[in-house]
Amino acid sequence: MEIKYTIQGLLIYATIAAYLCAFVITLLRRAKTGHILYLFGFAIAVFSFGYRWYHVRHVPLQNLFEVFLCLGMICYPVLLFCRRILRVGGYSTDMLIGAIVLFPAGFVFNGEPQQLPPALQSWLFTPHVAVYMLSYIFMAKATFQAISQLAGKGPDANENLLGPEQATYRIICVGFPLLTLGLVLGSYWGKKAWGDYWGWDPKELWGLASWLVYVGYFHFRYMFGKKHPRINSFWAIAGMVVIIVTLLWVNLSRLFPGLHSYAT
Amino acid sequence: MWIGLALIILLLFVSVYGAFIGAARAQSFIKRLPLMVYWSAFLMMLIAALAVFRRLVRVPGLLLMHLGCVFILAGSMWASESGHKFQKKLFGIDKITTGQMIIHEGHSDNCVILKDNKQIKELMELKELPFSVELKDFQIEYYKPAYLYVQTRDGQGWKIPVETGAEFPLGPELGTVKILRTFENFKITIKEGSRTIIDDPQPGFNPALEVQITSPDGQVTTKYVFERFGGHSHTEDKFLLSYRRVISDYISRLRIIEDERIAAEKDIEVNHPLSFGGYHFYQHSYDAEAGQYTVLMVVSNTGLAVVYAGYWMLCIGVFWHMWLRHIVAIKIKTYNKTVTLSAAKSLLSCSKQ
Ligand code: HEM
Repeated sequence: MEIKYTIQGLLIYATIAAYLCAFVITLLRRAKTGHILYLFGFAIAVFSFGYRWYHVRHVPLQNLFEVFLCLGMICYPVLLFCRRILRVGGYSTDMLIGAIVLFPAGFVFNGEPQQLPPALQSWLFTPHVAVYMLSYIFMAKATFQAISQLAGKGPDANENLLGPEQATYRIICVGFPLLTLGLVLGSYWGKKAWGDYWGWDPKELWGLASWLVYVGYFHFRYMFGKKHPRINSFWAIAGMVVIIVTLLWVNLSRLFPGLHSYAT
Repeated sequence: MWIGLALIILLLFVSVYGAFIGAARAQSFIKRLPLMVYWSAFLMMLIAALAVFRRLVRVPGLLLMHLGCVFILAGSMWASESGHKFQKKLFGIDKITTGQMIIHEGHSDNCVILKDNKQIKELMELKELPFSVELKDFQIEYYKPAYLYVQTRDGQGWKIPVETGAEFPLGPELGTVKILRTFENFKITIKEGSRTIIDDPQPGFNPALEVQITSPDGQVTTKYVFERFGGHSHTEDKFLLSYRRVISDYISRLRIIEDERIAAEKDIEVNHPLSFGGYHFYQHSYDAEAGQYTVLMVVSNTGLAVVYAGYWMLCIGVFWHMWLRHIVAIKIKTYNKTVTLSAAKSLLSCSKQ
């Protein structure tokens, strides 16, 4: 655990504080004030990301610090999309997701700027990582919905929102194409950079495993989903667990030596 | 369909297992017979699903997704080592699957070291390309500025940009640091008993800095800090010095010579390979001792177009099925609504008249 006494660090802490305040205030049934605070947190997150970009002079998606900074920024528009377009509830937990994903950037990962190694100097760098980050936020939201289903919680009947099982499916349907595109772009980039579109690297394999969990989810839901709706939710939660391993464990643990190690 | 689900779950477990054993072992693991059987079974299952389930063919998104997976699997199998052997047996196409070339600056070569035997030099298996690759020049580029790292024994540290002549203060108790010279190829020559330090223009690679440390009492010491041999210090030294540069690019300037004429020319870098004669040439490694040769990776392009076609189909299928067809449906619905609404309005206005 490390506290960052830098402008970047302060911006992260301010965003976390705004998101947490928004969460508490929304729980206290002051939805409008909560939303304003959430929006304010998002504005700081955008500024924080822009500040980092200016500081490192390349799109800041190179290491885990920058990736989590990005996640803390994109969660607001993604989760607003889930609410307004997909008609999914759980608005207060959205704010919590923002604070949770910014926590590692604020307290765990080293924010020392790094220069891009030759392999990362490619037009594929930004779309590959950005698409993955977007899909991860969608899948995180889907996981919260799956947990709500297992906990027996749902939106009020008068809210005109989807039930949690249906909501989980709908969000995964939005996130899965992004996950697929991330995998395909990564593979295409691997071919350009290392000469092989599939290197059996641990990061690639965990990426494939997370994609396969969702492929399994679709097939399971299609076959047995009506009979065992709770098991659908377990699939969705398993997907998130594998995504977390893909994102963190491979980089943090020394268990899996591989080509993606510069992402630490 | 449950067999399909079982195969997906099995592949999921294989992926996790592969991640635990590391890339090198995973690569040899997937070439083993049980995995070959598995890939074939998966491919057959997908084809069977397309034949049996009519909805998979009738719904365009589902068709593209599943057919995309068929293409990816079939393309990868066709591109594999066994796929190449099969093509040689059946069609007489004798191509190198993958290998490496070591080419010195100013030289050309057509020998490819086959990848499998690269560790055992005596057993190194060579194969020739039908054309030669010439290395005009090999270059390494670095980010600017480079940095001198200064660290005291009690853990205080500074990162000083390398700029000759500039003096950097370390505080009133430690004095100053000044970089006097930079070397690309540091050498000591001894002529008639006297020692001279030169930046040798001859082939070689020994980047270094000449650093002057002035202590607060005015005592001046000169130190040499080497990029490749960092981290040495004497017990009486106050500081640990290291010189680090970050590589921004490796560039091999290549020419393809076929029938004694230049058939292609490209400066290859990481992410920018050269494509010629059914092969791709990648910047793979280099001579870390003297920067005199490059190591290229040569990869056959057989099957690649099929895999890429599969990628396109998979992506288009997934986006169509899960995103676009719903957007199109909403658009049609709102269009129909406005049309009906305006028709109703005009009907209403007609009836009023
Ligand atoms: C052995 C392998 C597979 C078999 C036998 C199989 C079979 C099927 C079948 C029968 C359906 C139901 C179609 C329907 O009527 O809606 C389906 C749906 C689907 N399949 Fe596969 N499939 C296989 C592999 C894959 C793979 C590798 C993918 C990855 C992209 C995939 C993605 C999907 C998706 C996204 C659906 C839609 C599910 C939904 O509508 O909820 N399938 N598959």
